[in-house]
Amino acid sequence: MRPFGVLVHPCVVDDMPANFQQAVEPDLIARLQRGELAAFEMIYRRFERAAWTLALRLTGRPDIAHEVLQDSMLKAFERARQFRGDAPFAAWLRKLVVNEALMQLRHDRLHVIEVFDDTLAVDESPAPWMHADAATLERALNRLPDAARAVLWLYHVEGYTHVEIAGQFGRSVSFSKSQLARATKRLRELLQPQLQQVEVTPCTIGSTTTP
Amino acid sequence: MHDRLDHDSMKDDPRKYDPNDASLAAALRALPASAPARDAWPELASRMRRRRAARKAVWFTLPAAFAAGMALTLAWPHLHRPAVSPAFTPVATQASSHAATPAVSDIDTLQASSQQWQAWVQKLDLNGAPLDGRQLTQAVALQDRIGMVDLQLSAARNPSTTADLWQQRITLLQQLGLLHLQPYLVATHRPANNDHLISM
Repeated sequence: MRPFGVLVHPCVVDDMPANFQQAVEPDLIARLQRGELAAFEMIYRRFERAAWTLALRLTGRPDIAHEVLQDSMLKAFERARQFRGDAPFAAWLRKLVVNEALMQLRHDRLHVIEVFDDTLAVDESPAPWMHADAATLERALNRLPDAARAVLWLYHVEGYTHVEIAGQFGRSVSFSKSQLARATKRLRELLQPQLQQVEVTPCTIGSTTTP
Repeated sequence: MHDRLDHDSMKDDPRKYDPNDASLAAALRALPASAPARDAWPELASRMRRRRAARKAVWFTLPAAFAAGMALTLAWPHLHRPAVSPAFTPVATQASSHAATPAVSDIDTLQASSQQWQAWVQKLDLNGAPLDGRQLTQAVALQDRIGMVDLQLSAARNPSTTADLWQQRITLLQQLGLLHLQPYLVATHRPANNDHLISM
């Protein structure tokens, strides 16, 4: 349920697909592997939004997401010959973006990783994200610590397992689990007061809401 | 690699159904996609072209570097002769050098060799990677020394001194050429920093 409609981000463009579920034709991949810039531009245009969105969700900052987009696409072009075709091209590209985003975070900020208690109590209260609009959820997501946000996104949206996340971060499985638990709890805390505020003064959300 | 597109690969991480977890995943996945504020393609294409050009330059310069290395190996004993300025050459040395005056053809050969080295250095300077601050300082110092040798050559009358100066000029040009090759030699030995992460 979204009580006030979806807040539209200025960068949102809805006329192009923005996920990694698109297939890439084998001849286009072959042209890319031969180093054809035109073929790569077609692939880039096809996955630009998906790669950007993933980079932005993982890093939480447009400037870093821009670097991730550039560097991962550059690697895709230069390493296209390493793509063997035993997985979809889109999945290979997505892996490059995830690796690049985590590498950027490692360089920049992931050395400050909060250590959480593994024994966080399970919160049985109603999930506030079910009633939050997209912009509120996005803001709350961006306020999470970097590692926690990246783990949350990789687990819930990208479908990574704790083992895979631990491998990506070079940490233990319990690290992944505790980051996820903490991220969920923090997200709940961040969304709860906003929802309460919304219930009291529903018209103060802002002028960018759409009916 | 795990792929969310088919959910079969969750076998190593069986997830218990938790309505809160499921609703969180659904809420996150429902977030609208966004696009970069500006078109990132022109910058990306420009970076790719620059890297291609640099890679081509490496392929051009590596054989040249090999040739230079071979030439340096052959010329090594001569390169370590003390550089003697003709202005301070002792009389006795000058007298002895008269005894083994190089033929005009020797000087012509040295001159031709110097021209070839100079052309090679100029090519490297035009097509090569930019030098860093320290290398640039060294390059300027070498160019100054070549200028000094040229000045001395313009005043040299003794064939032996002239030959010696041409040899010095060649040595300095070789050092300058190697300096221009250093960025490539460093780049070809630099390991990729995250290759281990790509496992597909």
